Amino acid sequence: MKKLSLLSFLLVFSMLLAACGTSDQNNGSDEGASEEKKTLRVVTDAAYAPFEYMDGDKIVGFDVDFVNAVAKEAGYEADIVHVGWEPVFVEIEDKIADFAVSAITINDERKESYDFSHAYFLSTNKILVPEGSDIKSAADLKDKVVAVQNGTTGQEAIESVLGENNPNIKKFENTVLAIMELKGGGADAVVADNTVVEEYAKNNPDDKFVVVEDPDAFAAEYYGLMFPKDSELKAEINEAINTIYENGTYAEIYKEWFGSEPDLEDLKAQQ
Amino acid sequence: MDFRFDLIMDYAPLFLKGTLLTLGLSLAGIAIGTALGLAIGLGKMVKNKWLSLPFDLYITFFRGTPLFVQILLIHFGLVPLFTGKTEPVTAAILALSLNAAAYIAEIFRAGIQSIDKGQMEAARTLGMTHVQAMRHVILPQAFKRMIPPLGNEFIVLIKESSLAAVIAAPEIMYWGRAMQGQYFKVWEPYITVAVIYLVITLSLSFLLNRLERRLSTE
Repeated sequence: MKKLSLLSFLLVFSMLLAACGTSDQNNGSDEGASEEKKTLRVVTDAAYAPFEYMDGDKIVGFDVDFVNAVAKEAGYEADIVHVGWEPVFVEIEDKIADFAVSAITINDERKESYDFSHAYFLSTNKILVPEGSDIKSAADLKDKVVAVQNGTTGQEAIESVLGENNPNIKKFENTVLAIMELKGGGADAVVADNTVVEEYAKNNPDDKFVVVEDPDAFAAEYYGLMFPKDSELKAEINEAINTIYENGTYAEIYKEWFGSEPDLEDLKAQQ
Repeated sequence: MDFRFDLIMDYAPLFLKGTLLTLGLSLAGIAIGTALGLAIGLGKMVKNKWLSLPFDLYITFFRGTPLFVQILLIHFGLVPLFTGKTEPVTAAILALSLNAAAYIAEIFRAGIQSIDKGQMEAARTLGMTHVQAMRHVILPQAFKRMIPPLGNEFIVLIKESSLAAVIAAPEIMYWGRAMQGQYFKVWEPYITVAVIYLVITLSLSFLLNRLERRLSTE
């Protein structure tokens, strides 16, 4: 009798699971179908100021304004959800979200698993060090402890210098924790996207950090919106991106966040 | 779903290193936590209210706040205060022991108080001092009753050591997360991590079961 009830419990449980599974899939395919003024699920890791970060309970940042402008242009509503860095990739791979915006660098490795929109931002990895540090280039980071955000191009950049999974590389959940490790003295440098470290150094003059660049060691990178493979949405969004490049909306948002004019020619040259 | 065993093989040496650190963190946590827990448990049982208050507050804080928060506080706040720099392994051991000590203190107190009052009275009548009675009569009996809850606490401690990944202490979970970050895979890293923890906790419960059987008087 006992066995039977356990069996029926398992049966009910697995049916429940199956039901969850299918309803998720239905949502997914619904989103593929074109419907006017549909709300898109856009996922992000909102711990990367000034691109996306939490201001109280709201997600704000350059990426947020950019996506809202693009979505509006394409006739959609964007619902931007903070899920964390790695879950971003899981959601896109499993087609749970429509696309991701999270200062994601377009690279060949990621292109194998995902589709990317046109490039919308130029970035390079830079090195954040305490004032008076003897680190002047990427090569000086040899034998130094470097903190990075796990799974970012900053990590790849430093691994290209120190070697993969070098014990001197400390991988953190997000860049904020990596910078705190530097502040705490547990690391000699942080490698991350230039905008983030420059913004940090500028906004926290008391910490006495300086930014070191090494364009020879760390190449330029472009951010893109990330879609599931063969997403039908991509073409529409790309068109909308080009429209806001042309009509000046992009430059307006860019200036609001970074205080300078974007290099639109360079971005378009990447298409 | 294609499960990539080759990726796990790539990370196997790192998982092995991580396992060693996890074992180190857990053993240190268990040893320091038990010693500290015994002291705090005895301290809390002191009759004088003012003397027992600090122990009471200690337990309230460490049992009432998440270990995750304690790890971050100790790593970024407490450890740099003393050593001038952050030290993930030190911070992890400290956080795990301090946290476990609070629970272990309560286990000790419950164990000791579960022994019938008559035992102490009888021992005292025989001319033993309070300390002697504790050492030779009460504690040996209480210890036997504490094994199951202590084992429970040790297993919890082993599993909670995975939280040290957040401060980049390179234990098992850290390498699982690094692997996920590199390949953007979910099943391969985390199933591996889960299996390793399971092997560790199963070995511990096996040992505890044997100890319990050996000490049983029935």
